[in-house]
Amino acid sequence: MSSLLRVEPFSAGFFGYFAAETVLALGLVLMIVVPNLGRGTFRVPGTQVRVPWFFGGERYALTGRPDLPGYISVLTLLTALVLLINDLLNTWDHTTQEVLVHAVGDDSVRILAATPFSRLMEALFIGALFLVALASNDRYRSTPAREVRSLSALYNNRRQADLHILLLTCALGMTTVALAENLFVLFVGLELAGFSSYILVAFNKESKFGSEGGMKYFMVGSASSGVGLYGLSLLYLWAGTLQVDALALAWSNIGQEILPYVALGLMLVGFGFKVSAAPFHFAAPDAYAGASSPFAGLLATASKAMGMVGLFRILLVITLPEGTEGSAVWLVLLGVLAAITMTWGNLAALGSKNPKRMLAYSSVAHAGYMMAALTAVGVWNLGEASLDGAAEAASEAVLTALLFHLVVLVAFKMGAFLVIGLLEQEGEVKDDRTLSGLSKRSPLLAVVMFVFMLSLAGVPPLSGFLSKLLVIMGIVKVAAVDVAGSGASVSVFGLDLHWVWSLALLMVLNSAISVYYYLRIGVVMFFDAPAVGRDRPVPRTVFTAIAIAICLTGTVGFGVWGDPLIEVCRDAAEALLR
Amino acid sequence: MAGDSYASGLVVPDYALLIILLPMLAFPVILLLGRLFNGQDWWKGTMKEGGLLALPVMAASLVCSLMLIAKFIGQTTVSDTSTVLNWVNFGWHDAATGSIQAMSLDFGFYVDHTTIMLLFVASFLCLLINIFSIGYMNTDPINDNRNHRFYAEFVLFCSGMLGMVLSDSFLWLFIFWELMGLCSYLLIGFYYERPSAAYAAKKAFLTTRVGDVFLVIGLAMLWNLFQPYAAGQDALSYAVVFDGGHLQSIADAGKSGALQLAMGFMFIGAVGKSAQFPLHVWLPDAMEGPTPVSALIHAATMVNAGLYLVARMFPIFAAEAMHGAFTDLAFIIALVGGITACMAALIAFVQMDLKKVLAYSTMSQLAYIFTGLGAALFLANALDWHDPSYAGYDKNKTIVIVAFGAALFHLFNHAMAKGMLFMASGSVIHEMHHAHHDVHHHDHHDEEDDHGHDDHHDDFDAQSMANMGGLASRLPITATAMLVGSASIIGLPLIGGFWSKEGIIANTWRVAVDHDPRFLLPAFLVLITAGMTGFYMSRMWFMTFAGKPKSEVAAHVHEHTPWVPIPLLVLIPMSLGGIVFASMKVTKYLGYNGKQLDMNLIDGFLYEMDHVFVNPGAGYLLVLTYIAILLSLVVGPTVAMALHGGALDEGQKAKPWIQPFINLSERVNARRHFDNSGLADSTLATALEERLYFDAWYDAACEKLVAGFSVLAATFDRSVVDGTIKGIESGSQSTSSSVRRLTTGSARDYIMMAALGTLLIAVILWGVA
Repeated sequence: MSSLLRVEPFSAGFFGYFAAETVLALGLVLMIVVPNLGRGTFRVPGTQVRVPWFFGGERYALTGRPDLPGYISVLTLLTALVLLINDLLNTWDHTTQEVLVHAVGDDSVRILAATPFSRLMEALFIGALFLVALASNDRYRSTPAREVRSLSALYNNRRQADLHILLLTCALGMTTVALAENLFVLFVGLELAGFSSYILVAFNKESKFGSEGGMKYFMVGSASSGVGLYGLSLLYLWAGTLQVDALALAWSNIGQEILPYVALGLMLVGFGFKVSAAPFHFAAPDAYAGASSPFAGLLATASKAMGMVGLFRILLVITLPEGTEGSAVWLVLLGVLAAITMTWGNLAALGSKNPKRMLAYSSVAHAGYMMAALTAVGVWNLGEASLDGAAEAASEAVLTALLFHLVVLVAFKMGAFLVIGLLEQEGEVKDDRTLSGLSKRSPLLAVVMFVFMLSLAGVPPLSGFLSKLLVIMGIVKVAAVDVAGSGASVSVFGLDLHWVWSLALLMVLNSAISVYYYLRIGVVMFFDAPAVGRDRPVPRTVFTAIAIAICLTGTVGFGVWGDPLIEVCRDAAEALLR
Repeated sequence: MAGDSYASGLVVPDYALLIILLPMLAFPVILLLGRLFNGQDWWKGTMKEGGLLALPVMAASLVCSLMLIAKFIGQTTVSDTSTVLNWVNFGWHDAATGSIQAMSLDFGFYVDHTTIMLLFVASFLCLLINIFSIGYMNTDPINDNRNHRFYAEFVLFCSGMLGMVLSDSFLWLFIFWELMGLCSYLLIGFYYERPSAAYAAKKAFLTTRVGDVFLVIGLAMLWNLFQPYAAGQDALSYAVVFDGGHLQSIADAGKSGALQLAMGFMFIGAVGKSAQFPLHVWLPDAMEGPTPVSALIHAATMVNAGLYLVARMFPIFAAEAMHGAFTDLAFIIALVGGITACMAALIAFVQMDLKKVLAYSTMSQLAYIFTGLGAALFLANALDWHDPSYAGYDKNKTIVIVAFGAALFHLFNHAMAKGMLFMASGSVIHEMHHAHHDVHHHDHHDEEDDHGHDDHHDDFDAQSMANMGGLASRLPITATAMLVGSASIIGLPLIGGFWSKEGIIANTWRVAVDHDPRFLLPAFLVLITAGMTGFYMSRMWFMTFAGKPKSEVAAHVHEHTPWVPIPLLVLIPMSLGGIVFASMKVTKYLGYNGKQLDMNLIDGFLYEMDHVFVNPGAGYLLVLTYIAILLSLVVGPTVAMALHGGALDEGQKAKPWIQPFINLSERVNARRHFDNSGLADSTLATALEERLYFDAWYDAACEKLVAGFSVLAATFDRSVVDGTIKGIESGSQSTSSSVRRLTTGSARDYIMMAALGTLLIAVILWGVA
């Protein structure tokens, strides 16, 4: 299938194998250098001679353009994305070249690893960031378009460069998380991306909610990170290493100890915040509502997926049951958290009038669905021979579904936020009156938004339906593995099912609730009259239109023809569970 | 017939998907463009409001169909079901084994001789209808600015029909079947602002719904029967259902009765779709759609879906394992056909509306095919034709093949002839309309009122034959097409319909005489219907085209609408060429997968002539042939001529091939004219005009039974269902606000909640570990 290649960091082949990251780093350098090129001079000390050194000073016309950083960033991310998609095509052919980066001179110390799983997650992160970068190009030119004629008055290229630098550092952090084979490396990547996103939330300076949301997000985020880091340090204290495979080995020989469990609980807090699981999600609605929409979309998709990667590493790689254990130790815990999270998210979304807050809560609910799927993976001890492949297949199916859900979520969640981003051009989006009568203003946009809503609600044949169906089916499949003698089964309609089945039921009930608030957006768009001051067609913007078109293609395309992506996700799931 | 012949390795080429996909994709395109450019000049003029967008699509679809047909026409085996779309994979819990079974629903193609024939009929007629509509729809101002809706629904309909024909599973057949049902509803209700059209659409939809419910039940039973043998496949796919081994297992398990019941329920679905007794009431009303295109859909293409469904069951009836198990169902099919054939022909006697005559004729002819299918299925099921060592093997096999082939051949002939007839009737009505408009305009020349064309919607009925007459010279192409079509339906010797109709009558009688006396009833009914067909079709033609114009309008009719004559000219040879098809022994080709078309035309011709007119074998069949010819060709038309024949106006002369018929009718009319007013006032005639009171009965039954139940259901819905939902909703809303109240907006509280969460984690972990 795939072969494993061992390289040292920064050795000869390293940059080739991590071409996407290399491109990102180069893009970052370009982003710092190019907008600063100008007619700057350097005075030779002690003389009056000024030597031009092309840096600083009055910028050239080309390098001073406010839209230049956006183009650099889009091109960088696009190149990285293309490279990664090329890797994913290899995954599809089962010809992935797996690469392991180990410490110089010691190949037992693992640092990074490129597997089908990490490649998929990288592509997800970069894809989401690409959409954001693309849409921000429009956003920062068109926001003031109504009031301020001059672009440079409010938005000079310095500010644009700052924004896109943050996006690229975010990208680097996220890819590091995807690749990390060591929890410390993972944490560094997590914080790199995390800090970038705190600032990106607060970047929406025109709105007072922007800085407020960013501040809250930062405070709650740093508190959770602190707790998570504390858990990490306890883990190190216990095992003497933070390397993932070594921890997994240590966990399989665990005795009557309290330390690793405390560490596990504390780390769950840290990652729980990232995926916005209840009750660590409170800052999320404020942050989403305050941030400008593309960044809110980023938090809801890539940032959440990043948290999920962390959870995968800890829950699925390190602490998955081995040896004689039955189920994972966190099974009940995660099940309870999932149930609370999805119900809480949906109930809160039900009454939210602000579409951005509604989407924030819906993203909490989606986190609950994902955690439910994650719970199902922990039900069986896959190493136990008596389960005879059935449990393994079921666990793999549910993990595949979860990964598929993560990927397609980027399409329709981001799409919805981008549509709202378009509406933000006309002023802040605070309640659903901004959406009312959209079908009369821009019919196509209303239809597209409705498609995203339907996909979020899980209506066939859209990808949101397929992903939800696969997750629910996967959970039921796991629950229905022959559980004779496990003592964990409940009898439902005469079938012996593991209790994890009830999470699937809860998902179905929650989906039913969620249909209400998703469809309400449709009602508002198609049946209400446009609000005063928002009755002209939504301004046309090229880049955002492209980004939305990509999202729409993904939403519909993966729904009717999801097989290739499912195949890739299956390989990724296999790589993760291996 | 061995089971394994249903799965050979032939692969359907990829372009076959285009046949379905192109029209399906054209649907949103036309709709969207229509919405965007509605009313603009280029859209109306150049694009014909979407008509010229649909045309290339349907043409491409036809080309792909023809390529597919050309690929398979020489084959003697069935193409394999080649999966082109993996739709859904899912697991389900098998109670028997207690494990999760994988299950997939794939879309694939199934191509055999029945498919090829229907594929040709559907794609060919759809293209012609498209051409016809461009002439018909776009020249009528009442359709202005909404033709895009018509064309969009039309292409979607076509993709439904083509998909149904090509699909490889009863499940997909059902899906496309329902797609057609939807489009038929939309098209019948095209003039939804007219209460009668809205009512007709609702009626058609609800009536076929009754059949569809049974179809779903039947399919569910079928799925249940075959699921144990499906091995993860779609249990309704033909590959699974037609497999001889599976059928043998079912017979061994003693479940052939259940299988018969399942197919019986499916047959009820076919009864609804093909407008057979007792679910026939919707078809005449369906003529409310845009004249006559929707009528054509409901005559030449969609109603064939029910026939196709029954014909698809042939392999099950023919299976060796099921020998003699399904004779009852075959009889019911033939009986329903016989009753409908006779009843519809009777009602057609008194119809004055040109399209309604054709509608009832459709019903009657479809019923013929059902009778023929019933007889063929009986023979396939009851005769011993599986074992080559049996003495009568060859003879029996030929009998089965010819019986089945004759029914399918009649389907082909009827579709071609009826397609032509409906388009010709559309041409008549359209030109009548125009003439009426001209005449009217002329009369009120001074009154320049602003009502525009509102004022010609007075009580003049352009569809009533009472206003026509003498059109033979004024509409030469239309009159010729009508003549050929009617001749084919009547069964004029050597023309298309003759061969197949004789086949159906002969085979039904053969079953009745040789095997099962119960068949005497349908056999007798179809025989006398032959004579009745002769009458009502001739009556229609003579009333419309012969004699003097019965209204001022009819005297001013001209044939001048563009596009309309094209399909007529194309279809005339299709009906006239029946003899060529017959000489190719097309009945044998259609009847059995092992046969090839016989290209030796002279021999084939001599063989057929010898067989039909001199029949050296069974004497009673020969007698029967001549009785049928006598009834349909002599008795029926003579009575019609005596009642409605007559010479044209002075100075009007029809085309030389039409004039003899007019002259003949004039002579018969002069000599044998009788007064039928006594008959016309009889209770029978009144009952026929009221369509034998079926509609009244159904209305009364609905009012008495269903309406009461509806009130109950509505109350239940309002108080219990809505009450519960609203309760849940208000409950959720209030919970929602209390949950959201926890989001205070203060970061301190958020961290506090996170701390509580940490505590929760600690407690749960403590409990577990």
